[in-house]
Amino acid sequence: MNRTDELIKEIQEVKKSYPKTKAALLPVLYLAQREFGWLRPEALEFVSEALDIPKATVKGVATFYAMYKHKLMGRHLIQLCTNVSCMIFGAERLVDFLKNKYGLEVGGTTADGRFSLVIMECIGACGTAPAMLVNDDFYENLTEKYIEEILEKYK
Amino acid sequence: MITVTINGKGIKLEKPATVLEAARIAGIKIPTLCYHEGLELYGGCRLCMVEVEKMPKLQTACTLYVTDGMVVRTESEQITKARRGVLEFLLINHPLDCPYCDKAGECELQDLVMKYGPTTGRFEEGKRKHPESFDDPIIVRNMERCVVCTRCVRMCDGVQGASAIAVTNRGSHSFIEPFSSGEYNCEYCGNCLAVCPVGAIMSRLHRHAYRAWQVEQEVNTVCSYCGVGCSMVLQVREDTIKRVIPKIGLGVNKGLLCARGRFGYEYVGSHERLSSPLVKKNGKLEPATWDEALTTVANRLKEIKERFGGEAIAGVASPRCTNEDNYVFQKLFRAGLGSNNIDSSARLGYAGAQKYLEGILGQGATANIISGIVNSEGVFIIGGDPTHINPILGIQVRAAFRKGVRVITVGYTPGLERFRTAGLLPYPYTEGMLLSGLLEELLKIKSLPGGNKAFEAKINEFKRLSAGDIEKVCNITKEELSQAAKALSDISSVSMVIGRDIIQCTGASTNLFLLAAIAYILDARVYLLSERPNEQGLIDMGCLPDTLPGGRPLEIGSFRKRDEDVWDCQIPSKEGMTLMEIIESANTGSIKAIYVMGENPVYNLPDTNFVKNALERLGFLVVHDIFMTETAAMADVVLPSLSWAEKDGTYTNLERRIQRLRKAINRQGMEDWRILSEVGKKIGLKMPYNSAEDVMTEISMVSPLHAGLTYEDIERGLDQWPYKGEPLRQGLGVGDRGPVKIQMPGHKGRLYLSIEKPLFHSGTLSRRAQALNSIYPEPVVKINPETAKKFGLKDGDIVAVTSSKGNLILPVRTDKLIGESIVLVTNTFKGKGAMSLLSYKLDPITKIPCIDAVEVTIEKVVNI
Repeated sequence: MNRTDELIKEIQEVKKSYPKTKAALLPVLYLAQREFGWLRPEALEFVSEALDIPKATVKGVATFYAMYKHKLMGRHLIQLCTNVSCMIFGAERLVDFLKNKYGLEVGGTTADGRFSLVIMECIGACGTAPAMLVNDDFYENLTEKYIEEILEKYK
Repeated sequence: MITVTINGKGIKLEKPATVLEAARIAGIKIPTLCYHEGLELYGGCRLCMVEVEKMPKLQTACTLYVTDGMVVRTESEQITKARRGVLEFLLINHPLDCPYCDKAGECELQDLVMKYGPTTGRFEEGKRKHPESFDDPIIVRNMERCVVCTRCVRMCDGVQGASAIAVTNRGSHSFIEPFSSGEYNCEYCGNCLAVCPVGAIMSRLHRHAYRAWQVEQEVNTVCSYCGVGCSMVLQVREDTIKRVIPKIGLGVNKGLLCARGRFGYEYVGSHERLSSPLVKKNGKLEPATWDEALTTVANRLKEIKERFGGEAIAGVASPRCTNEDNYVFQKLFRAGLGSNNIDSSARLGYAGAQKYLEGILGQGATANIISGIVNSEGVFIIGGDPTHINPILGIQVRAAFRKGVRVITVGYTPGLERFRTAGLLPYPYTEGMLLSGLLEELLKIKSLPGGNKAFEAKINEFKRLSAGDIEKVCNITKEELSQAAKALSDISSVSMVIGRDIIQCTGASTNLFLLAAIAYILDARVYLLSERPNEQGLIDMGCLPDTLPGGRPLEIGSFRKRDEDVWDCQIPSKEGMTLMEIIESANTGSIKAIYVMGENPVYNLPDTNFVKNALERLGFLVVHDIFMTETAAMADVVLPSLSWAEKDGTYTNLERRIQRLRKAINRQGMEDWRILSEVGKKIGLKMPYNSAEDVMTEISMVSPLHAGLTYEDIERGLDQWPYKGEPLRQGLGVGDRGPVKIQMPGHKGRLYLSIEKPLFHSGTLSRRAQALNSIYPEPVVKINPETAKKFGLKDGDIVAVTSSKGNLILPVRTDKLIGESIVLVTNTFKGKGAMSLLSYKLDPITKIPCIDAVEVTIEKVVNI
């Protein structure tokens, strides 16, 4: 079984959880994103075909949500919060730190394709600000040094 | 009864309605932007805000349903302020390029700002930038102007069913896009640009060609492309059609059009149009005066009639010409030349099928209205894709499916891919066997209704195939077949949509018999798809070898007598020849002259070379046309006629609706009926007509279907001819019929040619419409990707498609909806018509030239 077949199988499983196929669109977009790297046109076409939803409609839904990757991104995605609590605790300095140390601009990707940075508006960790997500892992009480340590884990 | 008060006016309503609808009933105008009749309610633009007593905030009139005792105000200071605010927000991003925008003058935003203001905006930031997109050959997208009312998306998704565009991105960044962000690659119905309230989605065809208020004339007419007969308005300026628009709520199409109808009008102004009569001198067609040309025609026809008799002359009428043209055509033949050899390309399917079904069921013409499809419980489609052949009828099928109606298709129906309960794709040319199996399955579930004993006896005699046989020969499993039968049998109303492919293949009359039997058992309403605008009218006008105007059989003396009295002549009682018999007789020499009106037999009939050779043997060939067609090039006299936009008359659509064609453009020349009258007069016939209306007056005297009908009646809506469902003749052609022969073993690896009926083309006319060419520019051969793989081909490869009749060099296009043993080629482009590869056999009963399972090979061309 090749990867495409596996993905189709996975999609069929997801479909079973919903009364209507259209409802499966969001989770299936995640699957496609995982498989295609980001939601490039081929990924959207794949989803459209797998769920039998017109491709323009799929594109409309996909582009509505900021949580999907709409362009090629690094191997690891850093989502750093700069909302009020995090900002007070110095999140913006951390943004500068990422820029100076790793050459990582907001919304950009490092030259080696290792990290991409996205700024989040509150990830619900105000009590332990500043906080960030690296891929699906959660980190809090961030400092420049701590960030350096964390990022070492992601190659 | 609901009583509502709007602006102090009491309104009583029978049915639930929104505040907006109630206000419109009362004649009170509420401004709207996102609301559009026929589209799903949205409530997004916030312009229809009204005050409702006891409700704390302003309400959107378009989505609020009235309740009894509701008190509404539609204008107040508060409302005006709210509307002004909404408009101010819209103008933050909407550019003020009205001096340059084509929409100015008919722009809804412009009118609203004019009425409610604001005169200045308070926003200091810059406007959203979004360069105008010219990526599409037809549709220009200017997303700076878009107000995101989503009318276009709701039209495309909810009505047209194409779902080609969507709102992408979010909030103030959202705009409308097709999937590719550039080219639309859709059905090009253009219904999105018709509903756009601003200049965001516009047609390239008339870009910067005129201002909305400079339209000199708006002419209500009927479309010239297919048998649905959509109502449309031609906007004319300086004797050219600038734009074609539908009229909301009018006609069978109710505000919708398809690609051909909306964008296919450019052929009218083509520089290739014939302008002068041509007469062959020394083997070459030379310009001549009308008088010279007409005299030549009359003299030569008279000469041939005198020498060989009227039977040596034949006529080919045209389903593109009006009722009036066709009526005068058959009159010239019957009364003037003494010949019943009159037929047309309708023989290729529509006419043959209609006559046959009439013999069995007592009704051959579609005895139902197109909009009735939505109200049935099941739709059975065979022989063609209605969304391509008759797009507006196809939309009805889609609407039906969305309403929960079961839709079952047989064969290649790409437009219904997402709109069907089941799709059966049998091997090519085994559809007849499939029908036989379906009948068998139906009879297991349902018994014969017992109304027509003679027919039931025939059905019982018929040797049907079992589901097991079907599985072996058709590639349809037993389960698929029995499920289809079950789905159709346990509902009370079924619409049966029949396309030409099932009628034009080997065993045509057997297929028709089976279709009739299935329709009889299911008590189905039959719809015959019609590819030309006036196929029905042509039949009604008597352009058939065995039928007088009004569908009356020629063989009955009293019917002939009635016409003879009006025409003051003798009508020969002998039935004439059908279309292919005419061509065959020309080949053997018994037909000496053929008179062709608005048809192109060399291109549109199977076996091009045979047809060409036959026509070359003729003593005399006359052609009326608007272009120098392949047939006209062979003629002795060519007479330039007027196109659909340049003449008055009537068309009869596939549901028997007689509709008015109105002259929109002045052009020198003569209508077909006028040319025929002039020829008729020269051979001593009475042709007392000065206008198309005069011809209709005579038709209403001769044809019982049109008895007493006037143009005024048509305008008042008395437009569907009465159909009482009584057979005009008994027992025609039910005849003796044996079992369907299973003659095609081993489909694997073989390829069969089938004619594609594209949405964007119809043939001689559409290939001269630039816009249609820009979306379907060149002939291609369509095959299944698996077939392509097997032959080592990919998209764009140039191949030779070869049959026993010849070959065509075409690029490959793959389409996974096509069956693996089918090769699809259109009959549209010059020198590349599918018909040239086809051979035919005449069906013994209907005389339809049946395509006889033409086997082809495809081979990659290396050096070209």
